[in-house]
Amino acid sequence: MKKCLLVITMVLMSISLVTPCFSAEPIKIGALYSLTGGMSSIDTPSLRGAQLAVKIINKNGGLLGGRMIELISVDAKTDQKASAIGAKKLLSKGVIAGIGHSDPSFVLPSAPLFQKKGIPFVTSGATLPTLPKMIGDCMFMVPFGDDDQSFAIADYSFKSLGVKNFVVWTDNSMDFTKTLSRFYKQRAKELGMNLVLEDFFMMGDKDFSAQIARLKNASPKPDAVFISSIPNEAGLTTKQIRENGLTLPIVSGDGFDTELIVSVPGKELANDVYFSTHTYRADPRPEVVQFVNDYKEEYGVDPENAFAPLGYDAIGLIADAIKRAGSAEPKALKESLAKTMGFKAVTGEISYTRPSGVPVKGVSIISVKKGIYNVEEIWFPNTK
Amino acid sequence: MNTNRPRYCLAILIVLMAAVAFLMESQVNDYLLAIVCFAGINIILAVSLNLTNGFTGLFSLGHPAFMAIGGYTTALLTFSIEKKPLFLPDLPQWMVSLHLPFLPALLVGGCFAALVALIIGVSVLRLKGHYLAVATMGFLIIIQVLLNNADSITRGPLGLNGLENFTNLYWVAAWVIVTIYTCWKIKFSSLGRSLLAIREDEMAASSLGINPFYVRSFALIVGAFFAGIAGGLWAHLITAVTPSSFSLIMSFGIVVMVVVGGTGSITGSILAAVFFTLIIECFKPLEESFGIYGIGEIVTSLVLISILIFKPSGIFGTNEPDFVLGKHKP
Amino acid sequence: MDSGYIIQQLANGLILGSMYALVAIGFSMIYGIVRLINFAHGDIVMIGAFTTLALMETVGLPFPLVAFCVLLTGCAVGILIERTSFRPMRGAPQVTGFIASLGISIMIQNLGILFLSAQPRNFSFPDYMQTLLQLGPVSFRVVDLIIFLTAVILMIVLIFLVKKTKLGIAMRATAENMDVARMMGININQTIMATFAIGSGLAGIAGLMWGGKFGQIDPLMGYIPGLKAFVAAVIGGVGSIPGAILGGFILGLCEVAFVGLLPPIYSSYRDAFVFGTLIIILICLPNGLLGRDMEERA
Repeated sequence: MKKCLLVITMVLMSISLVTPCFSAEPIKIGALYSLTGGMSSIDTPSLRGAQLAVKIINKNGGLLGGRMIELISVDAKTDQKASAIGAKKLLSKGVIAGIGHSDPSFVLPSAPLFQKKGIPFVTSGATLPTLPKMIGDCMFMVPFGDDDQSFAIADYSFKSLGVKNFVVWTDNSMDFTKTLSRFYKQRAKELGMNLVLEDFFMMGDKDFSAQIARLKNASPKPDAVFISSIPNEAGLTTKQIRENGLTLPIVSGDGFDTELIVSVPGKELANDVYFSTHTYRADPRPEVVQFVNDYKEEYGVDPENAFAPLGYDAIGLIADAIKRAGSAEPKALKESLAKTMGFKAVTGEISYTRPSGVPVKGVSIISVKKGIYNVEEIWFPNTK
Repeated sequence: MNTNRPRYCLAILIVLMAAVAFLMESQVNDYLLAIVCFAGINIILAVSLNLTNGFTGLFSLGHPAFMAIGGYTTALLTFSIEKKPLFLPDLPQWMVSLHLPFLPALLVGGCFAALVALIIGVSVLRLKGHYLAVATMGFLIIIQVLLNNADSITRGPLGLNGLENFTNLYWVAAWVIVTIYTCWKIKFSSLGRSLLAIREDEMAASSLGINPFYVRSFALIVGAFFAGIAGGLWAHLITAVTPSSFSLIMSFGIVVMVVVGGTGSITGSILAAVFFTLIIECFKPLEESFGIYGIGEIVTSLVLISILIFKPSGIFGTNEPDFVLGKHKP
Repeated sequence: MDSGYIIQQLANGLILGSMYALVAIGFSMIYGIVRLINFAHGDIVMIGAFTTLALMETVGLPFPLVAFCVLLTGCAVGILIERTSFRPMRGAPQVTGFIASLGISIMIQNLGILFLSAQPRNFSFPDYMQTLLQLGPVSFRVVDLIIFLTAVILMIVLIFLVKKTKLGIAMRATAENMDVARMMGININQTIMATFAIGSGLAGIAGLMWGGKFGQIDPLMGYIPGLKAFVAAVIGGVGSIPGAILGGFILGLCEVAFVGLLPPIYSSYRDAFVFGTLIIILICLPNGLLGRDMEERA
């Protein structure tokens, strides 16, 4: 009798173990972000944005008739070795797509591994415009390229701020900032602006008194200073420049898209700052408002920086492509992603129409006046 | 010492590694392969650093700098000639035409690292203790800054990518064997005894006729050679190199393996290297399910501190475990 | 480049140097007494900065009280580290303590990221401290002046402590020869604890100043002050308090001078330059500028 019961129990148990296989198989997406180390302040919001997107999609019934998305997140530790290992780990778990990274030096060890296996990799934050060319057709970018955002702010400096003479400060320790400066100078030259002085600093620098002193003495007197930096130095440079009594406009790229440029200098000093960024901050579009509310409800704080909606959009982009392809097969997904046209992301509309593979997206030019953010205009690249 | 036991151990090790390599390459997925390869590279790093730090007592923090030199050199040499102008448009012409297959490139990388070690050694090796540590740390930072700024050769902060994935378990295993064999031979030779003597008491050693400068330089150079090799393997495993990867944090990671395993014990370094590589990986599932990132590093630090409190000279001290040496207990 | 610019740079260098000096003193004291490089010293600076933030914003205490509490917090953290990690390691090879302190540093940083989030935070002193003053060609803020004066006062107090008080003499004796000091009836444990407390307290105050000067703090901020203090202490001669002070100021001035007086293109080579100078000083003056030969005789 006991043996009979045992056998029945075991049969029932094995049935219950097998049953989940009959219900919809989850769609596995891998997320590679640096949650510890120097990049953590940028990548953690991206992961949170992505997790929020997954949660909302799953709450609304998942994709392809009830399949839930499973987001597997691996810490890249601001380390290339960990990025490479993390990529291999995700691939071994059978993900159908990967998202991650906000800096090209971490995309470079991870994305080629995805490319080799034919699995699409969508970077939420790396803006190097040559990435798709370097890696292959599985590489997709959510953000615009550095060339677009630099051209945008250069055009704005010339046309709207009337800048003729300008100074450039570049963070020489990161490729992102060097690329940004390069494209700004290129566009400025085309527009006929005059580079008065080029100065440098490094990520982690806290004191800019030397650069400020040189700025004060620059001749001819500059009409604006372009600071190519990441969020950590954005607030510090703004604060110190303004504290030294310099009122010239400060322009930058999306490295300045952070609360720090208002909170660190204070509302009074956070004045006459302009930067190009992903179209989301202070934007009244319904997608944006919905995202900000959801984020606040889920995490209790406003999105920390532009990388939060970018992470959210990476998942959204993949979900949209899955829907259009009608399948979560990596090959079909890859083709569907490549055909993305007018996808309404929180950070702008994404279309992959250019041969370089960099999305055609609007760039917001945002001004900060006495601590208030305001979208001045939205710039679109000329699609060649 | 029963001189045949270590030989048997080594032979068994070689056969074992060959078998494991063959099995893993064919069966196991990429992720586990990568972990094992990194464990192997860490063994090479730990054992070579042990030669410099452990046996000779030179507290060098510059190992990642030699890795960087070896890694970049190997990468530049294995880059195909067609690719070079695309990635590095400003490269001087004589460099563009250089192209070598993997093994020679690795050796050149290692030799170049050793050469730099010689140059550094001449200036820095007369320092002792903490001052040497600081000087080597300074050297590491200088190399990082130079690599970051030499855009035409190294592509600056972006680094080099698109390297061929040459490194596989066979290469790593082969170099692990070479490193262990070389270091073992050195340790149990008269040269090795000179190294230990310098570590224990430099004045007494020099009064016996041992030239401390030559001996220390030797330790540094050999350590640097293997670090360069490890760097080349590392670069071709990840297929990308950037200056920021070869940081002080990596330096401490390797020093930790040496200190925990036992300063001067080769077996200790091997085991510690494997242990620390695995422990980080084992914590990842925990981190991912609970979202508490960084817990792996915290626990590793606690393990380190506990070991240092309870057994400060490392698990094996300066000795190899008895069964490897083949000592008979009376 | 006019003289006003140079004087301004000099002033900047002095202010930066005084902060480095504060951190370097604690570092040097601890080395002098237990022959241990405490790599976690920089992270005590970070703890000080965050404690200030918490006390000022959450609890809303008035500023002088905040400074006092931060001093105490620094002392407490120092004592904690000493009791739990360094005391059991006394007598072990030098390298051991160094590695252990690095382990502690990594642990503190990761705990910071885990519990405080990696986002940099704003840190602001009361408004009256932010006003810009002009003295001839030099402009600086009230907070800069406070930093400099506080640093100088603390240094003077410390030197007085070490030279004239019983505790100071005990510290110096223990630093010179621990065994003989013990035989003379000095309570070694208490003396070492006091040293750690004072050194770490100074680091905590340095954290408060660091936050106030730059206005931004994050859990990884301790790495740079720690490293710079290390360099400063070695330049001045590890184990010597006047040496640490001198080293701190030299480092501050050199840094600012290097970035300020050379063409901008060399700014990126700043770290290489600082460490290159360090190596040269070490080779030519092995014990730093003011240090005594403290290594054990053969």
